[in-house]
Amino acid sequence: MESINLALSMQGVSKRFPGMLAVDNVDLDLHAGEVHAIMGENGAGKSTLMKIITGSFSDYTGVVKMGGRPVALHSPAAAKEYGIGMVYQELSLAPPISIAENLLAGRLPAGRLGLLDRKAMAREARHCLSEVGLDVDPFKTVEELSQHEAQLVEIAKVLGNRPCILIMDEPTSALSQDEVQRLFSMIRHLKNRGLAIVYISHHLPEVFEIADKVTVMRDGRKIATKEIHELTPRSLVQMMVGQDIDEFYRHREAKSGWLVLQVNNLTRLGFFHDVSFELHSGEILGIAGLSGSGRTELARSLCGLDPVDAGQVFLENAPLKPANYPDTLQRGLVYLTEDRKQEGLFLRLSVRRNVIASIFPLLTRFGIYRPEKETAVVRRWSETLGIAAASPDVGAGTLSGGNQQKVLLGKCLATNPEVLILDEPSRGVDVGAKRKIHEAVMALADSGAAVLLISSDLPELAGLSSRALILRNGRLLGILEKAELSEESLLLAANGHWEPSHA
Amino acid sequence: MPRTASPKNIVSAAVESAGIYLVALLLAAGCAMASPDFLTPESFLRILSAVSLLGIVAAGMAFVTYSGNMADLSIPSIIAFSGIVTVAALPLGLPLALVCGTLAGLAVGAMNGLVVGVLQANPILWTLSVAFFMEGFMRFAWSNNQLYPDTALGTPGASFIHIFRLTIAGIPLIVLVMLGLFVAGHFLMTRTRFGRESQLLGSCRAAALTSGIRVPKVVFCNFLLAAFAASIAGVFLTSMNKLGVFYLGQGYDFKAVTAVVLGGVMLSGGRGHLPGVFGGVLVIGLLTDLMQHLGVTAFRQNIVTGIVFIAAVGWQQYRLRAQGKDYA
Ligand SMILES: Nc1ncnc2c1ncn2[C@@H]1O[C@H](COP(=O)(O)OP(=O)(O)OP(=O)(O)O)[C@@H](O)[C@H]1O
Ligand SMILES: [Mg+2]
Repeated sequence: MESINLALSMQGVSKRFPGMLAVDNVDLDLHAGEVHAIMGENGAGKSTLMKIITGSFSDYTGVVKMGGRPVALHSPAAAKEYGIGMVYQELSLAPPISIAENLLAGRLPAGRLGLLDRKAMAREARHCLSEVGLDVDPFKTVEELSQHEAQLVEIAKVLGNRPCILIMDEPTSALSQDEVQRLFSMIRHLKNRGLAIVYISHHLPEVFEIADKVTVMRDGRKIATKEIHELTPRSLVQMMVGQDIDEFYRHREAKSGWLVLQVNNLTRLGFFHDVSFELHSGEILGIAGLSGSGRTELARSLCGLDPVDAGQVFLENAPLKPANYPDTLQRGLVYLTEDRKQEGLFLRLSVRRNVIASIFPLLTRFGIYRPEKETAVVRRWSETLGIAAASPDVGAGTLSGGNQQKVLLGKCLATNPEVLILDEPSRGVDVGAKRKIHEAVMALADSGAAVLLISSDLPELAGLSSRALILRNGRLLGILEKAELSEESLLLAANGHWEPSHA
Repeated sequence: MPRTASPKNIVSAAVESAGIYLVALLLAAGCAMASPDFLTPESFLRILSAVSLLGIVAAGMAFVTYSGNMADLSIPSIIAFSGIVTVAALPLGLPLALVCGTLAGLAVGAMNGLVVGVLQANPILWTLSVAFFMEGFMRFAWSNNQLYPDTALGTPGASFIHIFRLTIAGIPLIVLVMLGLFVAGHFLMTRTRFGRESQLLGSCRAAALTSGIRVPKVVFCNFLLAAFAASIAGVFLTSMNKLGVFYLGQGYDFKAVTAVVLGGVMLSGGRGHLPGVFGGVLVIGLLTDLMQHLGVTAFRQNIVTGIVFIAAVGWQQYRLRAQGKDYA
């Protein structure tokens, strides 16, 4: 019995990568007017399964049917032709180019003589943008947009091809809570228009909020497809992991020791102004703020990746050289970047080379590289963080998104830092891995290191932090103490609704 | 999940690095067919010494490419400059003259390294303009003249032009120098912190920065190495020609990049190794030899070299795409 609104059905679909079966004999039906969530641990094969129907691979096996007839989806062009559009895990827009050109790439309106028709461009671009409820100048460049707006432009670009199936791979990993809400209202709107929507996410509350059906994958195989009301968060996690996990977020007591890092009146014009705070050993200090509040910029300037205009940073009572990250890293202050694809990982090099990228001074003597200790270091962090890779010698770019994030964290932890700045440390990782990451961070803090935690994941921030700085529009508004820390207080504070409890 | 390191991958990796030597073997067989007296130790040494200059330059150039800076196009002017300065400094005695010549070449390399490493100039555009500037500078400083060393018996000049012709145990000095450079370079690239950091830089500059690697310093050293190798080549080339002049190194930039790319060092950086580059050098040497046997004229040989370069770059890109490794 096939239902009338069946948009696409996969039967026995498999995809093999050298040395492994990433998708193993999966059957899946997608219906029009339905949000279908796909969940599973990192490396379960979610992205690969979706890339199959967007035509990324020419060598999958099995049958994909649309409208009852088998279709061959062996190239992205073919998939587009059949009305399948995907918003990828990593954005695919060209930053230095205008929104309009990004949106209309491949179908730019040209007048006579092949000259661009700017009026028509603006008109079409505005039309595309209005569908996602975005009102910006289409001739702005993508660089000038916030993460959230860029995400919407990306969706608008895909919608411009009039898809009947829209796939979103972890679309909210870079969004704040109300941006997520705006995205959801758009998804509901599209669903009511009759699109079949696939939603990949590791975020349980989001899935329960937006999805109609959930398919769980594990080790490349489909475990089950269920209606959302048949599930509880707990049963869902159990299906994903294969065992019972009782507590998703760890809670850490506030601890703090001696003064490690002192930040005095740090300013970078246009990004953050006059920020001062102290960080103690054993402490995890959160930074609450919306994206665009200057959190990342503050962290980058603090560690010397970006310049500062005024102010000073003292590490163990000695000033840090400004804009000199190699020096800062030698002294034990390490930054985990939020952008693992562009500037975090060496995607073309092996996991091994990535993990040891920051610790050459430890592995060399008189400039000569001594590989003896290398294997032990790589094994230690692969095991601690549970990096799922066939061997340490596979390319980091072939790992699933969540496992790449673990490699990145491994690279930072391997330096044995005294101060660790984490910028969205658990972006795109599954529940189990998030727990492992939290445990690793807590173990580091317990051993006497200080941690500065930037995260849009409020339960994470509330659970781990001893205190939280509140940053808004580049200014430090105040500090939330452990007693006042909760998801709600963080949310209110980040949005500017915060009154100091002691006047 | 079934995860096994497939033996097929290991074999194909081995074939890939041996591939260039296979091509060299084929070319050698071609040479042997074209001239029956090819298969002698003498002609092997002849080929080696014929490629020595190119080999020395390519060993240095490989570092620039490997570290993600594509190519140093000022190499020909460094070759000429170190040669001219050596000849000009001969009155100070041969050892001092050699030091002056090498330092002159290194100075250009240091400038390249500073500008590309610290000021982040585009390496191709910058070194291209340096080549242009240096040619003008040399023509101006030596009034467009060729500079001849005084080669009377017993003068430093006589020993200088003898350098190129020197043999040790029957093996030309230049061949030994080239082999030495390749061995030392291979060690540097694979077994030192500098070499490893060059690879990281070549793979992804932004990630090298967030890994705390001193990027300007690494870039600087890579350009300095290329200039060092080119200066040595300049001394030998000038000694061979018995004169120093601004155009002496012409063509070595392109030939060296061709050898480097043929040898499997990716133009996008971070991949390849020096043994491969040595194979690339051999292939170019044998190809030239074969064409000479076949009576192909010099400018037609350039056409062939150009085609080989295009084919090699195309092949690399194709392989990367096929393996899905093109993350650039
Ligand atoms: N290009 C590739 N070459 C080799 N293996 C790959 C490649 N792409 C993915 N894989 C492997 O396929 C498996 C499934 O990866 P996939 O990206 O589909 O996981 P995922 O479920 O999306 O995980 P995540 O939640 O971490 O994004 C992983 O083990 C990964 O290592
Ligand atoms: Mg994925």
